[in-house]
Amino acid sequence: MEKIKLRNKRADKIVKNILLVTAVLSAVFIVIIIGIVAIRGLRPFFLSYDGATVNFFKFITGTKYYAPEYRIGYIIVNTIYVVLLAILLSAPISVLTALFVAKMAPKFLSNFLTTTIEVLASIPSIIFGMFGKGYVVILVRNFADKFGIVTAGGQSTIATVIVLAMMIMPTITMLSITAIKSVPEDMEHGSLALGASSTQTMFSISLNAAKPGIFAGIILGVGRALGEATAVTMVAGGRGSGPTFGLFGTTRTLTSTILTGINEANLGSLEYDIRFSIGLVLIVVILVVNLILNGVKKRLGKYYEKS
Amino acid sequence: MRKVKKRQVIDLSLKIITYLASFISVIILGAILIFVFSNGSKLLSFKILTTDYNSKPYRLKTTKDVEGLSFTNPNITDAYFSEDFGFAVKDDYTLEGTETIRFVYIDENSPLKTSVNEQGDNEPFKVDFIFDSTMRAVYKDGSTTTIFSKDGAKNVVDTLNGAIKIEAANVKFEGGGIRGSIITTLYLIGLTLLIGLPFGVLTALYLHEIAPQNKITNLLRSFIDMLTGIPSIIFGLMGAAFFIPFTSLLFNNPDMKRGSVIAGALTLVVIILPVVIKATESALSVVPKSYKEGSLALGATKTQTTFKIMLPNALPGILSGAILSIGRIIGESAALIFAMGTFIGDNITITGRSTSLAVHIWSVMGGEIPNINLASTIAIVILIVVLILNISVKLITNSFMKKYK
Repeated sequence: MEKIKLRNKRADKIVKNILLVTAVLSAVFIVIIIGIVAIRGLRPFFLSYDGATVNFFKFITGTKYYAPEYRIGYIIVNTIYVVLLAILLSAPISVLTALFVAKMAPKFLSNFLTTTIEVLASIPSIIFGMFGKGYVVILVRNFADKFGIVTAGGQSTIATVIVLAMMIMPTITMLSITAIKSVPEDMEHGSLALGASSTQTMFSISLNAAKPGIFAGIILGVGRALGEATAVTMVAGGRGSGPTFGLFGTTRTLTSTILTGINEANLGSLEYDIRFSIGLVLIVVILVVNLILNGVKKRLGKYYEKS
Repeated sequence: MRKVKKRQVIDLSLKIITYLASFISVIILGAILIFVFSNGSKLLSFKILTTDYNSKPYRLKTTKDVEGLSFTNPNITDAYFSEDFGFAVKDDYTLEGTETIRFVYIDENSPLKTSVNEQGDNEPFKVDFIFDSTMRAVYKDGSTTTIFSKDGAKNVVDTLNGAIKIEAANVKFEGGGIRGSIITTLYLIGLTLLIGLPFGVLTALYLHEIAPQNKITNLLRSFIDMLTGIPSIIFGLMGAAFFIPFTSLLFNNPDMKRGSVIAGALTLVVIILPVVIKATESALSVVPKSYKEGSLALGATKTQTTFKIMLPNALPGILSGAILSIGRIIGESAALIFAMGTFIGDNITITGRSTSLAVHIWSVMGGEIPNINLASTIAIVILIVVLILNISVKLITNSFMKKYK
């Protein structure tokens, strides 16, 4: 009896340790990711490639990206500009859609729209990219032609913004629906009892109270937009200098710079390693933007969660 | 009174704006589906799923003269039969939709069966070859005539009438299919789940069943949560800098320095890890506490309870986690471009380079002239699979939730 107990105890301990090891390994991946991108990304600033090292200050503030001097200052600006426009385009549409689904629509329509948004959310980014390159870009080109604006085959800031907006719309909408549905009903009843119309109540009470939840959706959307690579690369066009703010000019984002020409770059060359530096910058940008936005979110008021 | 009217006007306009805005998502989805299906349905056939991507061209000539031979016509509809040479050709289209001439029948004793290629190796004509560009007919008096494939199948047979030999025939096995990418995608799904699923499930079991409530556990949890916020291109960088050298060392194969299927699969393991962990954990938390307490009260050890009570009851949740992961694997492109490369291969090995379906789209859309038709065909395949996966996750989750209600 004692023996069995002892054996069981030992088995418990062994299993516990095995599980602990897998858990620690799972957690270690994030350290590996950041560590390896940091190590490889910092290399160009310290090692010499054919006798030249990259000057970090010039790298982070420069306005031209070409071999052998890779400078990404303007790319950071362009990335944030494109993402900002995409949010400005998709957030109002998403919030209104969410309001419609959560408050106005009859049941079948609400279900239909929810399914539509879920399907949209599950479409892989490569298909958005293909749709962007095969359709949106041509639409933009024809539109610009009508006004006599010459575009690079339609690859432009506006095409990138449209594709990004389409991709982040489901994210913002889904979180907004949850946020609006979680607003306590008595707040709305109070508003109605005071004589406000139902539309008035929806816009000034429900939306207002759901603000932090909606903002959480926007933060997720920003994160997705900043990190989106394939679709953006297919429609951005790859501008060599900047920053540029024209809607019909080509643009370049951090992710598209990492991805463009990766298979032509020689392993161990500066052209290859500089992508890790840009990846490191991308991680920092995402981190900083998230910190700022989360700070803003805290000031927006009480966060209602569905009880 | 006037104020009320003004209010009504504002309300109405706000309502109309909301109505309009909410249908934009329907328009976007509709536009994408119409775009994909209208461009892709032309090529979509069973054949494209089973054909290699890279075509194999041959330059063949017959070695025997045909004098005195005569073959019986197998009477294939729409095909033209050459009685002297014993083969039938037909006007047809390639997978990419361009006009071509296809060999549909070759007689057993046809001189085409003993042809050689330019290097002099034995390389017979085969059924399903397509005739590409030109071939030369040689006549008894030594004169030659060049036959162009663009003139049609009938012209081939007519011009060969009276000829004794075929020289320099440019034929090929048709490419443009996606067989390799389908197999690679299946490999990726298999390998990734094989490694990632046990890993994720064991981690979830630890976090949910065994881990003490302390700071270290919270740290582990937040580290794993952070994985979800990492963009896939950063996973790709990690795959390139960590898993490619790792696998190349593991298999002792320097050719793997530019990516391989196994490096891609390992990268995907990290991507699906948080998905599996989250799905398993939420499934574990739904299992009623009384199950666990009952098992422990009956004298089962913690290990027995974890693996014989908790794990089986959480299986549907693990299954939905696996299905979600398959969706991620099929849709992933940026990370795989780094970890696996963009070379579209036909002979798939774990240590070789090839593309998944999503990366195949990237490869054919990347050139100077993007092949939208082929890309859309692949997109249809991806969309159908992703839709089926989504529906099955919903069904599983619903029935699972009902069970414990």
